[in-house]
Amino acid sequence: MYGLDAISAHNGWQLAALGTSIVFTGLIILSLAISQIHKVLEFWDKRHTYYQRIKKLVQRKHRSEAIVSDPVLPKNVKGSVRQFKLLVEQIGEPFPLPKLLDFSEKCGFPHSHSSVNDLLQAKLIVPDGKGYFLWNHEVEKNIKI
Amino acid sequence: MPVDINTIDSLNIFEHLSRTELEELASLMSRIRVTEGEVITRQGDQAHSIFILLSGNFMVFFKEDRSYTLHNKGDIVGLSAAVLPFCYTGTAVALTDGVVLSIPGQELSRLIESNPALGGKIMEKINQIISARQPFVTGGC
Repeated sequence: MYGLDAISAHNGWQLAALGTSIVFTGLIILSLAISQIHKVLEFWDKRHTYYQRIKKLVQRKHRSEAIVSDPVLPKNVKGSVRQFKLLVEQIGEPFPLPKLLDFSEKCGFPHSHSSVNDLLQAKLIVPDGKGYFLWNHEVEKNIKI
Repeated sequence: MPVDINTIDSLNIFEHLSRTELEELASLMSRIRVTEGEVITRQGDQAHSIFILLSGNFMVFFKEDRSYTLHNKGDIVGLSAAVLPFCYTGTAVALTDGVVLSIPGQELSRLIESNPALGGKIMEKINQIISARQPFVTGGC
C-alpha cells in the first residue's frame, strides 16, 4: 500500500493535524509570552518599589489587627463601656458626640469627658466623617472587660 | 506665661515661617492650662482668640450637634478670631486636661497688617484649615 491510502490507513491525516496544532499552539504560547516580557522586565526594574509597597500593606494589616485585638482602654473606663453603649443605643446611630456627653453627665458618670476621650482613643467610638459618631462593635468584641 | 520659640518651632503649622517671623508670633502668644470639661470657645460669642493645642484632647461642636475631635499637638481652635465676622462658629470643650497657646485675634490682625509677607503665610494656613473643616460647620455663628 502506497500514497494517500497508506497515509489514511496509518492515521497519517490525524497525526498531521495533531502535529500542526501542537506546533501552532506552542507558537501562540511563545508569542503571548514574548508580548508580556516588557511587563516582567518592568516588574523586575521596580522590584524594590513593589517590595516596599507589599511590606507596608502587611505592616498596616498587622497594625489594624493589633488595634482590634488589643484596644488600649484604661481600667477605669472598661467598666463604663457597657453604660456608654447603653446610652448610644438609646440615642441611636450615628449619634452626636455632644449628646452622648450630655446624657452621660445627666446620668452622673464620673469624668464623662475624659471617659468619652478614652473611648475615642480606643476606637470604640469612631467618626462617621459627617460630624457624627458610630459605636465600633468590632473593637467592643475584642475588649476583655 | 511667655512662650518659648522652640515650642512653636516644632509645630507643623509654623514650619514655613522663618526664625524672625516665629519670634514675632511667639511674642503674641500666652500659654494657658485648661481642665477637663472647660469651654474655651462658645458658639456665637465674639471671637477674641485663636488657640493652638500643645497637649490635651478637645471636641468642637456646631449647630445640629455636628462635631469633630482634636487630639494632636498643633491642632487649632477658634480660627473665627482671624476671619470676619469675628464670632465663634463652634463651641470647643476640653475632653481632658491640657495646655493651649492663646493668640489674641486683634493682635494677630495687627501683625498681619503690619507684615504682609507673614500675614499671607498665616492666612494661607488658616484658609486651608477652615476649608478642611467646612463640612462640619453648620449654621454660622
